Amino acid sequence: MNALLPILLIAPLISLLVGFSFSNKDEKAIYTTSVLGVLLNFVILIILLIVYIYNGFEHMRFAGPILYHSSETDLGLSLFLDGYGLAYMLIATFLTGIIVVFSKNYIHREKGYKRFFNNIKFFYSGLMLVLLADNLETLFVGWEVLGVTSFFLIGFYRERYLPVKNALKVVSLYRVADIALLLAIWVTHHYFGRSISFFDFEGFQGSESHILNETFYQFAIPGFILIAAIVKSAQFPFSSWLPRAMEGPTTSSAIFYGSLSVHIGVFLMIRTAPFWEENITFRILIGVIGLITCIMATLTSRVQSSIKTQIAYSSIAQIGFMFIEVALGFYWFAIFHFASNAFFRSYQLLLSPSVLGYRIHEQLFHFVPPEPQSTNGFWSKIKLSIYILSIKEFNLDTFMYRFLWNPLKKTGNAFRFISTKSLLFMTVPLFIVGLYTVYNQEILPEPLLHYLPEAYAGLGLVLILKSFVERDSVLSSWLLILMNQLYLSLAFGFNEEFDFNQIHIFLSGIILAAALGVWIILRLKKKGEDVSLNQFQGHSFEYPRLAFLFVIACLAMAGFPITPTFIGEDLMLGHIHENQFPLLLLMVLNLILDGLVIFRIYSRLFLGKHKKGYHEFANRSS
Amino acid sequence: METTDILFNEGHTLEHLSHYLPSQLTLKDFVHHNSLHSFQDKEFFDGIFSASKIFGIQVTFNLNEYRKLHGQGRIRMDIIDRVIVQQKGTLNLQKYRQKMLSGSYKHEYNPRIGRLREKWKDQYKVNLDDLVQPLLFRIIGSYLDQGIAIWHFPFEDKGLINAVKILEENSMTSFFKTKRAKTLLFSQDLSIEKLLEILVGNASYYENYLFDQQFAHKGWSGLVAAIEGTPETLFYRKKIHLKDFILLELLMEIDALNKTLGKHWKPLAVGYQDHAESYFAKVEQEELQDILKLWQEAFEWDYYDEVLSGVGHLAKTNRIPPREKQSFQALFCVDDRECSLRRHLEYVDPKCETLGAPGFYGAAIYFQPYKAQFYEKNCPVTITPKHLIKEIEVSKERGHEVLHSKQSHTFFKGFLYAMALGLWSGFRMIRDLFSPKMRPDIADAFSHMDINGKLKVENSDPNEKENGLQVGYQIEEMADIVESLLKGVGLVDHFTDLVYVVAHGSSSANNPHHGAHDCGACSGRPGAVNARVFTFMANHSKVRVILETKGIIIPDKTQFIPAMHDTASDEIGFYDEEILFSENERQHRLHRKTFENALDINAKERARRFASIDISKDIKHIRNEIKKRSVSYFEPRPELGHGSNALCHVGSREKIKGLFLDRRAFLQSYDYRTDPDGEVLLQVLSPLPAVCGGINLEYYFSRMDIEKMGAGTKLPHNVMGLIGVANSSDGDLRPGLPLQMIENHDPVRLLMMVEHRPEIVLKTIKSSKEMYDWFDKGWLHLLAISPEDGNLYHFQDGAFVLYEPISKILETDDILKVIETAEEMKTNHIIDTTKENIPVHIYPDKN
Repeated sequence: MNALLPILLIAPLISLLVGFSFSNKDEKAIYTTSVLGVLLNFVILIILLIVYIYNGFEHMRFAGPILYHSSETDLGLSLFLDGYGLAYMLIATFLTGIIVVFSKNYIHREKGYKRFFNNIKFFYSGLMLVLLADNLETLFVGWEVLGVTSFFLIGFYRERYLPVKNALKVVSLYRVADIALLLAIWVTHHYFGRSISFFDFEGFQGSESHILNETFYQFAIPGFILIAAIVKSAQFPFSSWLPRAMEGPTTSSAIFYGSLSVHIGVFLMIRTAPFWEENITFRILIGVIGLITCIMATLTSRVQSSIKTQIAYSSIAQIGFMFIEVALGFYWFAIFHFASNAFFRSYQLLLSPSVLGYRIHEQLFHFVPPEPQSTNGFWSKIKLSIYILSIKEFNLDTFMYRFLWNPLKKTGNAFRFISTKSLLFMTVPLFIVGLYTVYNQEILPEPLLHYLPEAYAGLGLVLILKSFVERDSVLSSWLLILMNQLYLSLAFGFNEEFDFNQIHIFLSGIILAAALGVWIILRLKKKGEDVSLNQFQGHSFEYPRLAFLFVIACLAMAGFPITPTFIGEDLMLGHIHENQFPLLLLMVLNLILDGLVIFRIYSRLFLGKHKKGYHEFANRSS
Repeated sequence: METTDILFNEGHTLEHLSHYLPSQLTLKDFVHHNSLHSFQDKEFFDGIFSASKIFGIQVTFNLNEYRKLHGQGRIRMDIIDRVIVQQKGTLNLQKYRQKMLSGSYKHEYNPRIGRLREKWKDQYKVNLDDLVQPLLFRIIGSYLDQGIAIWHFPFEDKGLINAVKILEENSMTSFFKTKRAKTLLFSQDLSIEKLLEILVGNASYYENYLFDQQFAHKGWSGLVAAIEGTPETLFYRKKIHLKDFILLELLMEIDALNKTLGKHWKPLAVGYQDHAESYFAKVEQEELQDILKLWQEAFEWDYYDEVLSGVGHLAKTNRIPPREKQSFQALFCVDDRECSLRRHLEYVDPKCETLGAPGFYGAAIYFQPYKAQFYEKNCPVTITPKHLIKEIEVSKERGHEVLHSKQSHTFFKGFLYAMALGLWSGFRMIRDLFSPKMRPDIADAFSHMDINGKLKVENSDPNEKENGLQVGYQIEEMADIVESLLKGVGLVDHFTDLVYVVAHGSSSANNPHHGAHDCGACSGRPGAVNARVFTFMANHSKVRVILETKGIIIPDKTQFIPAMHDTASDEIGFYDEEILFSENERQHRLHRKTFENALDINAKERARRFASIDISKDIKHIRNEIKKRSVSYFEPRPELGHGSNALCHVGSREKIKGLFLDRRAFLQSYDYRTDPDGEVLLQVLSPLPAVCGGINLEYYFSRMDIEKMGAGTKLPHNVMGLIGVANSSDGDLRPGLPLQMIENHDPVRLLMMVEHRPEIVLKTIKSSKEMYDWFDKGWLHLLAISPEDGNLYHFQDGAFVLYEPISKILETDDILKVIETAEEMKTNHIIDTTKENIPVHIYPDKN
């Protein structure tokens, strides 16, 4: 029966691949394929449920193919099924099925009918992978799929400004969660010396000897995981992205941000519970975050005048509560709470347009003018202060800008004195020199060699910062990303444990992706199109196919899972030592920025208002 | 170049702004109107092209699209030639042909609005929209909110600026980030002018700046201005002025600039020349506009000509309406959606007679449902009613829907709700998906007024007034209304035993725009109340006594019966059936069947445009599917509303029987024989331009620019404060019609065809300046069908000119077959959608 597990992944993926072959007008075929994929999974899940109960709740494991094998790491695609995962999968499949059927007529004749269903299926496959993953690496692959599909579904109406802006905003935050998870993987590698399997995992035991003291690991591993979880579950202080994610058709908002996607943090905490269960301080931390979220989200939800935002915040409040439940160790209760909340909120969202007629009618008969607000006394003062704060969502929306993006932008602008072109000219020879010395490290003195990784990572950071603030030439910006990636590989090259093979995997992905990107940019240029980065160009209106190809190039550049870049990225990170914090910090910043810059380039080139005004397009504020 | 002479006059500018901002009220009061009403003082094309240049909106298709339409035969060559000859003279035929078909023109998108404020970005690299709008929308949304927030905006009775002041005074936190804005807020001489001095610094640019600023979010600004003008559109009254809203935004702009730039900024227009060019200075039209105009005219006339061939053909056959031995008479709303139902009724029962009049049936009323705290206006929006009709008894209570409970958004109750109802919602999703049924949160046309409820129609005491409105009608008033309506539609003799007065409404689920599907002549509400009020009057014995003195003799056995047609679910409900005499009741039972059969066919005809229904299936199955659509949460197109409307016929139904118009015509009954001098005609025509023309033009502009004039696709819509919809949590309100309503619409102006001698029609329209302008300035087309000889006269340049159609007439023996085999659109691009319309056909009429 364990052999059924991979089918849960394969079915939606096949349904996705088949989906690509239809044209947007074949609504019936697109729909039928989608329904079949989800339905098959539902049937399998029911069978698995019966088997699971029959076997006395025995967990199942499926050892998948090893993607990469070396002496120190095995990167395998193994699957694992337990009660929590099974419950989550059943709910997810049920809801996805409902949404697919609901969308059949709802999305009818929408320009992106096919795009919508493909995204739903891709999202669903990613979700299945997260829920079935037997190790953090596999889980990470699914995790990234969720992030990327979110970007596309939030920016579903890609010709309008706000969806694109918000898609970028959300995906940048997700990037933080992704990197946090990657770091968690990095620490676990060092702690255990292998990739851990959830199937037989029992917490901090059987570790190898390690350099730093035990407490570091006991907080770092679950700490990074917790960051990933609270970002994805919109917990304090990362809450404000959720209402802004509701840009797509109501159905996709309902399934992603009303239910399945936003609860995944709760699942992640339960899944990784052995890391922190014994750690009371950490449990308190989880609970406190949950509690703060409850209070903040409840207050914000009370003052919202837009229905979807209100539902979003009430949902966040409930998820905060789930975090408390998880902290207390009531996992099954949290899962039940998740199920109820997911059904309830997604249905509220689906029916949210009805609220206008319904409540106006209610008002017609039962309107009671509210009591006037008093201004006397200290309590009134507190109340009014909280009112203003809640309207401003406790400033959480500006928080990310203020503390992360703006400083990065400022730093990038500090390098304004070098022009992008000359930077490119300077760095190419430097890279060649570097490349030569990597292969011939003996020619360099030992002490110098020691600092080279940091030096190259630092230079890489300058390159990517420069790319981040580049406003004109998309080609320069794109090539800077490539150079950045090459420098990073040099940084690894100079780091002690050096494996040519791994770098080659990494580079092969990058160079192919970069070449594809360059080809697309040149093609656009040749057609006489504006390809500067100073505004949204909206080329997907006229070149939807190029847009799709560019997405693939971007994903590969960003080290998206299933691309060779990713495997390389993951492997190389493993080579940073536990005590190399400066190098680690540089790498992390590099990786975060990489993602941001790549998504930014894609958005600027292909999304947003189409610049040629010969057809209708929406106002910026709509 | 025109320039603004007086540098800045606040009152004048505010008035100017309100004039140009969208005037749509809250969604509960959805009334169709000309979206470019502010340009209606200009000739149509001059008006729309000016608007296009000023606001950057699309007002026609682009050249390429017209050429494609020509390529596929939708715009025929001989029509193009005719339009050119008519507008440019025969000599220029070749030249303009070439220009239209292959001339190359550069399209430039460079709207006037927005140019000045754009400079902040150029000069200082700040995007004020991004910095100000999210919080501004949140504040105004919360301030106007009718009942989404649990914790409402305090001090809403003090006015926006005062409320903000009190809030700021009494709290430890602030909406503002800098001290300067806060100090300005509390300064004694806070005024728009003073703030503009800080921001713009050059008085001749103030007005332009305000236009830039307010049109950057015309949805919210328009609503604020509209509420200021019509405060009763909110049940929960809020004191709001556009002025306050602007003050707040200006303060927030200063705040944002100070926060991002510190002290390093100067007023925007300081070094500018002293005379700003007014945005509304005359727009010089270029040749491209001229060519687009020709194309649009050709696009319109290609269709009109087809219609007129048929109309002319039938007019010449000179049939004499028989009005004898009829089975029943049924009075319908002029609405284009009733056009097909009437056709099918006449098909099922060739002896019945159908008539059309605006669906408020002369009863201009406010309606107060039982125990309701507010009144609802049920008449054309231009009329201010003096009468109140109260519902005094109901038979059932309204249901509740826990999913929309506010409590579910509080913390503890939210937890209990989710826990208790979570799994239940899962089951309900399945049920609503596979067998949808009516629920309390679905807009139900039949719940507007209780179907068995009682109305107080007759006024018992002239002094009985509520809020200045007379409760019910007095006998004389009733007689006047009945007389003028009956005379208007020409029903003054040969009454059948049963006369149905059929109102219409529309049920739809999950649809904030449901008001746009209801009766346009009843301010976007179901019209059953009006039908009941009218029949009460017409059945009243004292009224009939008065009518006799005016020459209208209604036999004693004649009874008027109110009914309502649900245009989405294709169901009909009859009211007051208990008053029927037993003989009439027997007849009524038969007629009910007739109605049901006609509705079956009607459902089938409508279903041809719905991809989800297979119209080759059994007719009862189709009817059932149609009904399901009206209660399906997942169906964004419960019906297609007025999509494809294009015509308005004012005249005898007999004259156009047998002409298949594909649900595209408003049908007003009028009998020129009872009105040889056109005395009644003015009163018959007067509501039509605003009601039918309003609908037509709103569809026109929403179709031409679905993003800026329409509301875009409705799928991502987010309900804001129960007053409107926006796209995002931080987005602007979106007035206009959503894509799903207009996608099948061919944007052509309304062609009004009046059956009377041209000189009488001319005299009539000239007697009202307002009406004359509609036709003279070309916002509607007008045509007179001369009853004597069947000739057609087109109104142009102030006179009626003989029009000779050139299209071939299509004939068919089986119109139902034509409907069944009609093409279905592949995409919602105009190239495809226009193919879905069935050409005008003549089919044998059973009479």
